[in-house]
Amino acid sequence: MKDLKELKKIEQYADQCMKCGFCSFFCPVYQEEKTETSVARGKNYLVKEILKGNQEFTKELGNIIGLCLLCKRCVAMCPAKTQIDRVVVGARAQMVNEKGLGAIKNFAFRKVMANRKAFGNYVKLAKSFQWLLPKTEGNIRHLPDFLKALGQGRNIPALADKFLREIVKPVYKPQNGEKPKMKVGYFMGCATDFMYPELGLKFIDFLTKRGIEVVVPESQSCCGAAMYFSGDFETGRLQAEKNIEAFKDVDYIVTACGTCSSTLKDYQKYLPETEDQKKRFEEFEKKVKDSMEFIVDIMKVKPEELTLKKEFEGKTATWHDPCHLVRYQNIKDQPRAILKGLKGLKYVEMPNADLCCGMGGSFSVYHYDITKKIAGKKMDGIKATGADIVVTACPGCMVNLTDNVLQNKMPQKVYHLLELVE
Amino acid sequence: MLKESVVAELQKIVGKENVLTSPEALKAYSYDGTTSWVHEPDVVVFPTITQQVSDIMKLANAEKIPVTPRGGGTNVSGGSIPIMGGIVLCTTKMNKILKVDKENLTATVEPGVVLQDLTIRLMKEGLFFPPDPQSFLGATLGGIIAENAGGPACVKYGVTKQYILGVEVVLPNGDIIHLGGRTLKNVVGYDLLHIFISSEGTLGVITKAELKLNPIPPAKKTIMVVYDDVAKAGESVFRVLENGVIPGKIELMDNWVINRIEEMMPMGLPKDADALLLFETDGIPEAVEKETEKIVEIVKKYGAVDARVAKDQAEADKYWMGRKAGFAAVFGKAKTVFAEDVTVPRGQIPALINKCKELGKKYNIEVVVLGHAGDGNLHPAILTDINNKDHYDRAVKAMDEIIEGAVELGGVLSGEHGIGLEKQRFLKRQLEPVVIEMMKKVKALFDPNNIMNPGKIWE
Repeated sequence: MKDLKELKKIEQYADQCMKCGFCSFFCPVYQEEKTETSVARGKNYLVKEILKGNQEFTKELGNIIGLCLLCKRCVAMCPAKTQIDRVVVGARAQMVNEKGLGAIKNFAFRKVMANRKAFGNYVKLAKSFQWLLPKTEGNIRHLPDFLKALGQGRNIPALADKFLREIVKPVYKPQNGEKPKMKVGYFMGCATDFMYPELGLKFIDFLTKRGIEVVVPESQSCCGAAMYFSGDFETGRLQAEKNIEAFKDVDYIVTACGTCSSTLKDYQKYLPETEDQKKRFEEFEKKVKDSMEFIVDIMKVKPEELTLKKEFEGKTATWHDPCHLVRYQNIKDQPRAILKGLKGLKYVEMPNADLCCGMGGSFSVYHYDITKKIAGKKMDGIKATGADIVVTACPGCMVNLTDNVLQNKMPQKVYHLLELVE
Repeated sequence: MLKESVVAELQKIVGKENVLTSPEALKAYSYDGTTSWVHEPDVVVFPTITQQVSDIMKLANAEKIPVTPRGGGTNVSGGSIPIMGGIVLCTTKMNKILKVDKENLTATVEPGVVLQDLTIRLMKEGLFFPPDPQSFLGATLGGIIAENAGGPACVKYGVTKQYILGVEVVLPNGDIIHLGGRTLKNVVGYDLLHIFISSEGTLGVITKAELKLNPIPPAKKTIMVVYDDVAKAGESVFRVLENGVIPGKIELMDNWVINRIEEMMPMGLPKDADALLLFETDGIPEAVEKETEKIVEIVKKYGAVDARVAKDQAEADKYWMGRKAGFAAVFGKAKTVFAEDVTVPRGQIPALINKCKELGKKYNIEVVVLGHAGDGNLHPAILTDINNKDHYDRAVKAMDEIIEGAVELGGVLSGEHGIGLEKQRFLKRQLEPVVIEMMKKVKALFDPNNIMNPGKIWE
């Protein structure tokens, strides 16, 4: 008998499913594909077959468990409370144990992303070639046909002239010169670092204006989402240890990236190998706060006391719920409270606000056609609001929403909520 | 195993992307919502238009390959399991709502339309399709029609067959025929339309349907009624009806179910109650008001401990959410669950409930009761574990006796799930041998080669 270590860990979750099939209604991928292998029930059944010894980790099985956005929409609605996200990630981890990562991911995760310096250097190298990409609008660049692997015709934000890591200081004292109310560690995340550095500076400014000391440890590394959601627990664990070490002397660890905050919090769920590790990961989780919950729940900032930036005066805004906020962290009321409370801004709720934008990290690289269809539904929701701006709090979603707004020739602009306020 | 040439033919008919043959995909089409039946097909095809269905059937008929039609795969009778292998003909890509006709209160749909998608679409027009099987999030109209599905709303509105005006069907030989029509009345020859409704996919493939709709009632109210004796709850059901009120829904939950729901989602249900009835009245506001008062008066007269009218829609939604979760509450608590759908004339509900409780004691197993008490359709559920032989055997015996009991009380062994595989062995207890023979002849008339969902309904 093979050692099904990672699968054994999730067997209890897989057993929960009673095959009612309700997940099909909520699964963005099933709604496009209409096949049983694209939905939670089918994936869960196949994982159980592996556990019974009736199914091997074939290439096709790899494709099937790969075809999940991990958006957790089905999990939220499952009458049997099956945590299919854990089943899928567990199965991916088992597959990595048995079959390895594959050359591309192996290189990307272990040689590049796991090493902060290398990651920066590779992105820098990519940047020096980005003039090859035609510009769509502003600083959005258009991926031409020869880069099919990244999605045909895709628009991505240009890489910043200077990455956040190159301009950020290690310590920011409160702007009023007083003794800090608390000390937080800022976790930047790769999208903010390479594409939206001004967002990072904005967040730091927001915090220090309000009496908080911000430290930005140079030793912080990638959050690990891409790795451990792909089943590379080994590299994920490495990232977890690096980040926990980097942020050990702060009251809170804050980030303006929904994916990063939920990934940092979930180290304890997926990665511990020993009791000691589990304890440390759990301790770490308690200190991690997403920007939205930190501002509203911890800093207790009153939305009506915030000042809207001039350029947004009189505009209508709608909110997109990132999966990693609404379902991974139950953060949905905080951003709405801010948007509704901001004087001078009109808020409209979009239909299906909690529908995944279709990005799913590397999902969109492998299944860009499906990503586009799912995003199309998101766009329908945005159009129905008649809003001027789409606001969210996850740079991953921002990338995908921006791409699809442009592809659909819509007038809306996409912003991180922090960009709206002074 | 299927010949390669057949797969190639199928690919020619529906396109390569609409044919699945990988072992993994076949496994994913080996089950439905039941716990005890599994069988893999040899191939899964997804037609997108009627002509493709016809071409598939012609090919299968010529090659004598079994064809099992399947939609969302949510049924709980084993009906969509390809028990003889062959082709699974999956209708999920024929999912267009072709027309909503407000003037005539009808809708034209393809078979793969999911009920909840239809409901959402109709809501925009102020209309609804009354049959409401609780699998509405996954169930497709083709399956709903083929199984003649029911649900809570049937006490007032009736079951699926009362809402189907016509169907387009592909016969096993590939012929495309039209039964019924678009009118409310229709007595042109034998009513073959209704042979298709509840045919469980054994006579042909439904490729289009004309549905009868109702306007959404402008008002509704929910009443939660508490009992210290489940049989008294059963009595209340027919007392309310005989006193002239037909509520939109009457749902029953017993003590065990109440407590599991409270564990899952605490909402303040009375945990010591032996049973609860949920009533919903609907119609014009004045009538709803009056009917609600009347129900409260009657249930109190006939032994209810308490009757609480939900003060707003939020409170009402909470109770109905609890009722919906009842199903999950049951299935989440045992490895194997027999979910019965025996149905008796309403006056016999207390007798059936008592029978279930007695059998639970007799065989020392958990028999829990919930269901659509309003139309006599109960879901006694037996919690067991297929791997625990002694327990499982006792559970099987109890189930046998519940079914026998229901039939003795003048009821039927299935009210809304169908026979499929799950209840085949009981068929003889309900139907006379001559009737079963006639059914087989009907089947042979439509499907002489026995390729259409073979192995279902009778043994």
